[in-house]
Amino acid sequence: MGEQWAFYFDANKCIGCHACTVACKNQNDLDPESATWRRVVQSGQGEFPDYEEISVSISCMHCEDPPCETVCPTGAIEKRDSDGIVTVNRDKCIGCHYCAWSCPYGAPKFDGDNKMQKCHMCLGKGAGEGYGSPAKKHEDDGGEKPACVDTCVGGALKAGPMDELTKEATEDAVNRATKRKGNVIIETGGPTVTFESESD
Amino acid sequence: MSNSTSTTNESDGSRIERRTFLKGSAAAALSAGIGGAGVSQVVQGSTESEAGSDGWVASGTCWDCHQLCGQRVRMKNGTAVELKGVDGHPRGSPGEGREGRLCSKAHAQIEKAYDPHRIKEPYVRKDGELQKASWEEAFQVAADKLATFKDEHGPEKLLMAEGYDTDDMWKHLIMDIYGSPNKVGHKTICHGPWSYTWDWMGGRGRPAPDHKNSEYIISWGRNLLEAFNGQWEPMGILDAIEENDATLVTIDPRYTKTAQHSDEWLPIEPRTDGALALAMANVIIEEGLYDEDFVENYTYGFNELRQQVSDKTPEWAAEITDIDATKIRKVARGFAEAAPNCYATVWTGITNQSNGQKNAQNIHVLNGLVGNLDRPGGLRYWESPVDLADPYEVQGVEFPSNQDGRSQPLSDYEEYPFHHVRGLAHAQFPEAVENGDVAGAFMYWFSPLKNSNTQDWIEALEEMDLLIAIDAYWNGMTRRADVVFPESSQLEKPMLGAGGSGSYSTQGWVTGSKAAIEPQWDTKPGFDILKGLAEAMGYGEYVPWDSKEEKINDALSGMGLTLDELDEKNYVIQGEYGYESWKEDGFDTATGKFEFVLDNVEDYAAAAEQAGISTAPEYVPPEKFGQMPDEEYPLDFTDAFVEQISRGGDQTLDHSRQLLAERWGLDHKDYRGNYLLLNPDDAEPRGIEDGDMVTVESPEGSISLMAHVTEGIKPGYTATTLGWGKGSITPNEEGGNSMMLHNADQIEPISGQVARHIKVEVTKGGDA
Ligand code: SF4
Ligand code: SF4
Ligand code: SF4
Ligand code: SF4
Repeated sequence: MGEQWAFYFDANKCIGCHACTVACKNQNDLDPESATWRRVVQSGQGEFPDYEEISVSISCMHCEDPPCETVCPTGAIEKRDSDGIVTVNRDKCIGCHYCAWSCPYGAPKFDGDNKMQKCHMCLGKGAGEGYGSPAKKHEDDGGEKPACVDTCVGGALKAGPMDELTKEATEDAVNRATKRKGNVIIETGGPTVTFESESD
Repeated sequence: MSNSTSTTNESDGSRIERRTFLKGSAAAALSAGIGGAGVSQVVQGSTESEAGSDGWVASGTCWDCHQLCGQRVRMKNGTAVELKGVDGHPRGSPGEGREGRLCSKAHAQIEKAYDPHRIKEPYVRKDGELQKASWEEAFQVAADKLATFKDEHGPEKLLMAEGYDTDDMWKHLIMDIYGSPNKVGHKTICHGPWSYTWDWMGGRGRPAPDHKNSEYIISWGRNLLEAFNGQWEPMGILDAIEENDATLVTIDPRYTKTAQHSDEWLPIEPRTDGALALAMANVIIEEGLYDEDFVENYTYGFNELRQQVSDKTPEWAAEITDIDATKIRKVARGFAEAAPNCYATVWTGITNQSNGQKNAQNIHVLNGLVGNLDRPGGLRYWESPVDLADPYEVQGVEFPSNQDGRSQPLSDYEEYPFHHVRGLAHAQFPEAVENGDVAGAFMYWFSPLKNSNTQDWIEALEEMDLLIAIDAYWNGMTRRADVVFPESSQLEKPMLGAGGSGSYSTQGWVTGSKAAIEPQWDTKPGFDILKGLAEAMGYGEYVPWDSKEEKINDALSGMGLTLDELDEKNYVIQGEYGYESWKEDGFDTATGKFEFVLDNVEDYAAAAEQAGISTAPEYVPPEKFGQMPDEEYPLDFTDAFVEQISRGGDQTLDHSRQLLAERWGLDHKDYRGNYLLLNPDDAEPRGIEDGDMVTVESPEGSISLMAHVTEGIKPGYTATTLGWGKGSITPNEEGGNSMMLHNADQIEPISGQVARHIKVEVTKGGDA
């Protein structure tokens, strides 16, 4: 496989503004109901006044060994060889929602046609590129950043080859990422975040 | 899928799929010949993208919260499809060499431009009904009605109210030429207690923070990382934390996004901020931490201040504010030790209080004591050293001053102390209408029903003889108007603005852009509306330009710049100026000094005397002027801001409402209104759980909204966001309008500001 691409997210810098969510929605022309390829989750811990909260911006993690791919009965989901991005062939999707049930991060969304759609890292063309929306970054030309990264107000989001991102991350964050097998490195300064999978 | 987020076209009742809709509007934009000004340039832009240069071809200047962050616009077949920030922009980035970013409201401008909820063409009331009209007809009807009104009532009975204009012609047209002296601005619904007080003390209006050079930041009753004035603010603060190791302190009974990033969150007892400030002053003075040189040479009233705070110890304040005395000492010392690279800044958290004026004064005392005024990392006295020309002067246009000698209808309102300071206040206009002092209104982006005593305002609007409205959305005001002019949204019109505060601490700037897309439907930019109206009123000679572009070019001529050039760059930095302006010029006050005590300010002294408070810093407890919780209504309730919704202007946007729901983790619920934040200590005894519908009741009325139960708010205190429910632009008026719970007496007496803390009871269950 080529270089595995990943996201990097630093909760210490995220101000929970949701700009990443809307930038993603604009870039990919999403309907309001499915505007959450990238969403921002708040997580609180403690009791007043010893209360703490962080905001975490998450999308599809482009997992190492994606459970969504494993359960998909039609083989519509594929982990791309060239960059490790998990893509969806929407022509093959039959809308059974298995992927949604299996994904631990609530990443798969369904549009009016009941076809799965999710973050494609705004990279390249082909299956999973966002059903016809233009590519933000071509793998070979080092072009623009993913829309969410480009607009991140706090400078909390980055995207790039995993090897490069791990150089900038703390050891803790890298260890957590390795353990989780999702291709996202999360620096947390506060409470633990648990993700709930989507139930329709 | 939640049915409440479906997009329904109000006027023709059909459900429009956004993707289909976008395609349709692209075609419409290409074929439309409407809009007048700027069409040729816009069409050229569209043609270019048609010819294959789809991509980042246009620029914009964000006006959603009116702070002018620079935008690049990606076009696809003549339609704007994506936005991004402009690197190095003075309002949209932390400065030179830094990336420009946009907030979620700015990105939502795409949806706003093509929002089917917008008012799509002019309307005129005929036989009691609002009916579609041509622009010519609407202009003529408005002009005739204004003329008749003037004959019957006199121009002084027309109220001029403005939210945030995109062209200043209205002031000349309605005030200078037509002759109405009655204007209500933002000072009695937003920032009055602060603006007046800091102007009286330091003589230069509201000084604003120099974020990037700061080392100690107190965000006092302000949610700086979320309710910001442009992207340079949160980004500058995050920079200061990273690069200067700055300390961030948030004083707020609510755990905000700013609290989230703060070193200290002080969840203060609501409205006791003045006591906390005095205790901090006590520490700073007693421990000799103040700036002796500044205090001795550049301030007035120090001895009186020292006396006033001599017994206001942290222990005294701890009892009142519910904040530990040790913590008060720690913050006071940290703040003073970082001086002058530190600031304490306030906004609506302070101004919304019944005792807001005195609280603002006490807090500003701290800035004076440590001498951070107009110093690096302190509160900057921003200037605008760019040579913009006055376009009216360039064209030799001179306005009469027909409002001179006509007074605001003050005579019967002397019972209000603020009458010494200003004309009428927002909450008192309904009373003025009832008394026959106001009989009509010209409203430009103004939505009174969400800003004070809604029920009184509804009656007042019904009562008025004439209502003319420029707006983009149907709401409780536009629906009652006699003539409605639909203005285009920001991407559809040329923009220009100049600094002021921003990420260039010692340089001036100008920013602007041409229209990225054509006016949608049959709407017009504000300039074109005001020009059309001026012509119909017979005052065409005062508007010598054919388009806003021409007017902007006249303004830019002073800098040797054209709008074409500015549009390409999006911003230009020009002019240098230094810090410590007061060293040479002094402060613009009676003594030329920064004044801790306000006995020299005649208007203030008179108002203070009438209200029974001192001209010196002192603690005015909230119960002196405000409503306090009691047995029947045991909770203190107020409204607040969130990032996803700018005041009242984004509530029709499906994505914005979705994001707000997501923000409170309630997006799985079938509700897209505002949320009531409630501590579990208050929720549990009432049987309320997160996501339950609840009823909020005050002595004046009741509203329903959804509860968000969180540990991030002080027990006994509850808050929501403004601009929802009855009279708002929210589709189906979803959510609750907090101003339905207010009466006209809810005011801060010195400035006339709406006092937004009221007593309520919350019960489980509500409509929806
Ligand atoms: S995050 Fe979910 S959708 Fe994405 S690859 Fe992993 S399992 Fe699949
Ligand atoms: S990479 Fe692109 S598609 Fe993925 S979340 Fe970011 S903006 Fe959305
Ligand atoms: S844009 Fe950046 S700072 Fe804002 S919510 Fe998204 S990740 Fe956080
Ligand atoms: S802060 Fe956001 S809404 Fe306000 S002008 Fe800047 S980009 Fe626009």
